[in-house]
Amino acid sequence: METITYNNFEAKVHLALFTSVENGKEIRERIIKASTAEGAEGDAAREAVNFAFVDAKLIASPRHLLTATYQSLLAESQESLKTKTVHSEIIWSLNPTSNITEALRRFGVNDNSSTLLVVRVVKSSENLDVEKNMKEVVQGNLVPLSELENVTDWSLISKYYKLNSEVAVTGLKNPNDTKRHKIIEELVTSFVAMKSVSS
Amino acid sequence: MTPTVALLESSTLIRQGAEAKVYKSYLYDGQISGSDARGEPILLKYRFNKQYRHPTLNSTLTRQRIAQETRSLMKCLRSGVHVPGLRMVDAQEGVIGIEWIEGESVRVLLGAEDEETEGTGDTSDLPDLEQLEHDPLAKFNTTSSHVMRLIGTEIAKMHAADVIHGDLTTSNMMLRQRSDEGTEVLIDFGLSYVSALAEDKAVDLYVLERAFASTHPDSEPLFQTVLDAYSKINSKEWKAVGRKLDEVRLRGRKRSMVG
Amino acid sequence: MPGKTRRGLSSPLKQLDRDYLALGLEGSANKLGAGVIKHSPDGSVTVMSNIRHTYITPPGEGFQPRDTAQHHRDWIIKVIQDAMKQAGIEMSALDCICYTKGPGMGAPLQSVAFVARTLSLLYKKPLVGVNHCVGHIEMGREITGAQNPIVLYVSGGNTQVIAYSQQRYRIFGETLDIAVGNCLDRFARVINLSNDPSPGYNIEQEAKKGKRLLSLPYTTKGMDVSLSGILTSTEAYTFDKNYRPIDTGEEGTFTPADLCFSLQETVFAMLVEITERAMAHIGSKEVLIVGGVGCNERLQEMMGIMAKERGGQVFATDERFCIDNGIMIAQAGLLSYRMGFQTALSKSTCTQRFRTDEVAVTWRA
Repeated sequence: METITYNNFEAKVHLALFTSVENGKEIRERIIKASTAEGAEGDAAREAVNFAFVDAKLIASPRHLLTATYQSLLAESQESLKTKTVHSEIIWSLNPTSNITEALRRFGVNDNSSTLLVVRVVKSSENLDVEKNMKEVVQGNLVPLSELENVTDWSLISKYYKLNSEVAVTGLKNPNDTKRHKIIEELVTSFVAMKSVSS
Repeated sequence: MTPTVALLESSTLIRQGAEAKVYKSYLYDGQISGSDARGEPILLKYRFNKQYRHPTLNSTLTRQRIAQETRSLMKCLRSGVHVPGLRMVDAQEGVIGIEWIEGESVRVLLGAEDEETEGTGDTSDLPDLEQLEHDPLAKFNTTSSHVMRLIGTEIAKMHAADVIHGDLTTSNMMLRQRSDEGTEVLIDFGLSYVSALAEDKAVDLYVLERAFASTHPDSEPLFQTVLDAYSKINSKEWKAVGRKLDEVRLRGRKRSMVG
Repeated sequence: MPGKTRRGLSSPLKQLDRDYLALGLEGSANKLGAGVIKHSPDGSVTVMSNIRHTYITPPGEGFQPRDTAQHHRDWIIKVIQDAMKQAGIEMSALDCICYTKGPGMGAPLQSVAFVARTLSLLYKKPLVGVNHCVGHIEMGREITGAQNPIVLYVSGGNTQVIAYSQQRYRIFGETLDIAVGNCLDRFARVINLSNDPSPGYNIEQEAKKGKRLLSLPYTTKGMDVSLSGILTSTEAYTFDKNYRPIDTGEEGTFTPADLCFSLQETVFAMLVEITERAMAHIGSKEVLIVGGVGCNERLQEMMGIMAKERGGQVFATDERFCIDNGIMIAQAGLLSYRMGFQTALSKSTCTQRFRTDEVAVTWRA
């Protein structure tokens, strides 16, 4: 797990990349169940899955994900969240449209997610063993974030962000061209940064 | 203190213009495996409130302009125009964060004095002798005519995407050299808008031509190189834009006036 | 006149060996003016007289060229006589007779130029044709002492941001459609405000009572502005279901005062913005407001706040010199006369179109 600090939000952000994830279906079901559970048990259930579970193959770089995280923290501080929590907002921020269901289906955890990027925003005052909590939920291998480059599915990103006909990439036909990947990474990062004013 | 104000306070002010303050900043502390500590530096552009303007007008305008600027940038990025990428946007507070460009302004590279905070107050600033002797372009291993071709190419791509810059000057262009990409010219934004009209594109070029004439004396042949490159890249529109440019040059300015 | 510019170059104007006197005649729009100015060997400038008579139309009506020219013909003898009497001099004492060559409305310009020519022949005095806008700028500089300001010229016919460079008043920004005074006057007519003393003055008074800021199009392009859209939108608000010609105090409604307030706040913000952009571009800290709209105290206030933020200051004049007058024509005319400029009788025409940047400003360094 890796951690950075956003001093201006007085928040830490913990990120972990899991490969060979086996329980995507279970995680998704736990999230749904927790959202409607009541009482102290409900709070505990929600706390246990209080993360953004992001399908890692749709993430072009740590910067791509962190841009979504930054914008979500900003929306939270301005009380303009489009979704319920800062974690679901991260997933919403990544999706090119404003459709929440579509965002969760595409960028969230689903039954056959094999790699997950797990994000947890912690306000400075909280004291938690985040890594332990992550490992309790996700059954998979925790690997360094630098492994992400072997996970990213560039053609799926291009498809979802509708980049295939953009002039910026049309000159680079080879889908494995690293130059093409760099341009796509820049486009999706920039898009996520400006999503709040995109329309 | 709002998070964005806190971010500005932790940043280094590098320039204050009439419209905005510009800072160098980092969004976070810490390190992610495979990237630099604190991530990459970014440039923050803060469109501060104008005290003379009604507060309601201030906030609507700021929001509108941030939206306009970021959309133009996004349109350029999608169209392969070399512009800085976007890193954060706070339309409410009037701040955008863009990619930090390590490079030199074309204005300086062509031998004019660096702009202080704003205009130098002199319409006829000449390159000083020392700069003439040590061609600043040598550092980039390039020539002025090559830079002109790069400029023409970028403007042509931008116009082909129907983005009008609104304030093209050599101070708004940066030259950057990267080992993998070679030398490129990047365009900085501010007053841009979207238009498909040849007239607007011609005025854009005319503004640059005037900026060349006032900042870089004897630059006429250089500007022609810009246009040559432009006409090659945006060949579809060049006929209409070029004709309009001649018109705009003739009337000097936009309209004759009635008292 | 200031003998030095900020660059330390000395003024091309030669020191005088005696007092010089000029009569200025202005009638390019609905104000008819005559004034006498004196330049002295010690460099001082004295306003000997400044007489004006305004053609005022009923509420809801603008001034037509033909009627305005008739007004000028009816009043010009009286206005000139008053100016000479107040100055306490005879025609024979004058060095030159200055008149507005343009820009402006054709018929009124011609009616005044005709009188100027006649006086020139009668008293054998040289004629000097003057650009109306340059007249405003020179009078503004003289009265305020601003050395090398960015000039915002705002009137019924003009909206320009001007800076001096190399013997020209160069236009850095301007309106792309209608002038700001025209925009305000036309709206005054829509809501039937009086034209006495001027529609703009009455808009300003009305705006002071306004509270609610209604959203209006705000269009600046670089150093230019566009004002026709905002006029249309403000007019459209008078057909809105929440518009109340007389304040009823109902929640959510708005009044003519609110519209005047919104119009002023928005239009003036645009003007201040382009002026600031020009100041930043040139690196100037002084701004001079001239032209009829320049009397507006809210505009002066907003400009003052901007200039102060930049560590500079704003210069403005009151209605005697802001609003079209004869003395400014005398001032600009005498300056060019001292540099050897005269307008031959055969060339003493008028022109409706006459750009500020066409004039060779020989009297400045």
